[in-house]
Amino acid sequence: MRVLRSSGALWLGLLTVVLLVLPLVVTSRFAIDIFIRVLLFAFIGVAWNLIGGYAKQLSLGHAAYFGLGAYTSTILQIDVGISPWIGMLAGGVVAMLASLPIGALCFRLRGPYFAISTIATAQVFMLLFLKFRDFAWGAEGTTIPNLGNAPLMMQFEAKAAYYYIALGLLAIGLAITYRIERSWMGYYLVAIGEDEDAAEAIGVNAMRIKRDIYMISAFLTALAGTFYVQYIYFIDPQTAFNFNISVEAALVSIVGGVGTLWGPVIGTVLLEATSALLQSWLGSSFGGIQLTVYSLILMAVILWRPTGLLSVLAEVYARIVRRGSAQTKKAVLDG
Amino acid sequence: MLEVLAQVVVNGLLIGGIYALVSIGVTLIFGVVKIVNFAQGEFVMIGMYISFFLATYFGIDPLVSLAVSMPVLFIVGMLLQHFLIRRVLGLGDMPQIFLTFALSLLLMNLALMAFTANYRTVHTWYSDEAFHLGEIYVPIAKLVAFVLAMALSGILWVFLQTTDMGKAMRAAAQKPEVAMLMGINPNRVFAVATGVSLALAGAAGSLLMPFYPASPMAGQVFVLMAFVAVVLGTLGNVKGALIASLMMGVAESLGIQFVGADSGLIVVFLMLLLTLAFRPSGLAGGGAR
Repeated sequence: MRVLRSSGALWLGLLTVVLLVLPLVVTSRFAIDIFIRVLLFAFIGVAWNLIGGYAKQLSLGHAAYFGLGAYTSTILQIDVGISPWIGMLAGGVVAMLASLPIGALCFRLRGPYFAISTIATAQVFMLLFLKFRDFAWGAEGTTIPNLGNAPLMMQFEAKAAYYYIALGLLAIGLAITYRIERSWMGYYLVAIGEDEDAAEAIGVNAMRIKRDIYMISAFLTALAGTFYVQYIYFIDPQTAFNFNISVEAALVSIVGGVGTLWGPVIGTVLLEATSALLQSWLGSSFGGIQLTVYSLILMAVILWRPTGLLSVLAEVYARIVRRGSAQTKKAVLDG
Repeated sequence: MLEVLAQVVVNGLLIGGIYALVSIGVTLIFGVVKIVNFAQGEFVMIGMYISFFLATYFGIDPLVSLAVSMPVLFIVGMLLQHFLIRRVLGLGDMPQIFLTFALSLLLMNLALMAFTANYRTVHTWYSDEAFHLGEIYVPIAKLVAFVLAMALSGILWVFLQTTDMGKAMRAAAQKPEVAMLMGINPNRVFAVATGVSLALAGAAGSLLMPFYPASPMAGQVFVLMAFVAVVLGTLGNVKGALIASLMMGVAESLGIQFVGADSGLIVVFLMLLLTLAFRPSGLAGGGAR
């Protein structure tokens, strides 16, 4: 990471420009759809990374917040007529509030049992939304009324608009992570992640820090939920609380590198690129191949590179820079 | 009313016996190797497919193919411990959780590709047989599965209490460093513990086959049940896992009867969350770590 930061501003500017003009250059709907998926899952990964990566509380239940965000904005839109832009924030707040009791219960457990209890919470939400049909359409779900081009209702005819929203979300997530990483809270989080008991012993209020970061993570994840159902114009409990969302949030971060700013982004690009390639080679007929490949990548990363692929990239980059500067030096000396 | 309640309790206990085999496996690995095996349900699934194929192509009864699924999975367990789990021991939560989690995803999706998502059933002569005990209806296949599950749990108990290997396992579970000083080879003990644990999962799969359809995702319910039971019964405690599993079976059965057919799991998950709220260290006490 340090390597990237030294010439950081330049790279970041370049990346921003590329990302901003990308949908103007690449206009294939299929490609833009993949870009949107990458941005969205990178954003969810970034949200997960706050609690899962920095504080090492390995949640496997982020689908709970994704679904709460999705349902809150959809219910507000269909039943009350409130714009999803406002519904998105409302969903974030609902998710934040829900994270308080969930965190109070689950943080009593550590390590694997924290992960298991978070799976249980997400499942409870899915089962509840399946059960209460008069409250939220039950198992059939509902389509979101298509209003044509209605920017105020977060509906657009151009796919590129969704791309820019997803890009904006990712930028917000990264900016928040960047700020937290450099604040006292970031150091507390890393301390908790390293050794919670030791952190408490030196006066870190671990319970409070975990609660606060979990709230932020839940809020951001809920924003992704609203965006996703607005993008696909459909919601049902299986979509909104899908276990795969919890899995992918963790997966992209681990593959890219937990507890790093760019880890989830790198991880998502790699996994989604693999998935897109597999799809174009094999078609979507070969069910199971995508997750088979994902799980193999995950195992390979855990066994050979537990710090994630970002550290591999950083090493390669460092080597190139070192060789480059050595050559310049040599040229200067020779000249 | 009383008959209904008695019936519900019997149904719950019968399926709880299967949950117990899975939970005891999870708690055994956790106690000895200090790893939570997220893929335990997939080994139940593999046990189911072994019995399914032996029954379909060779006409072997699932209860007989127990003699195949258990040793096969025992060996798989030893290999799993030797080639995968051993490499992440002592590396912290993240690699430990996600290694077996990745394995679970991998096995599930390989099964999906190899066997498709279709439900596979084995019909034995006793699959539809049942008898009445007073007012209570007792399906024979489930009763046999329950009795064999309890017998296997009993055999494991005797194994842990009386054999050298069993004692070594308990020693390694309680004080790994001291156990090593006493000349216990941890790698061997860990491999046998994982092997035994997977053999129990395989047994659960075979025992399920006469009355439960096999599918790539079939293991999921059992592993979730097992996790709840293992938390309830205090981590690493074999007896606790057994009792908790039977309770979970009854709780699920009560949920299905009184809340609705799809509510069994809600009841189970709520039980987990309530346990965490009021007895985070499990019903038998002890550390929550």
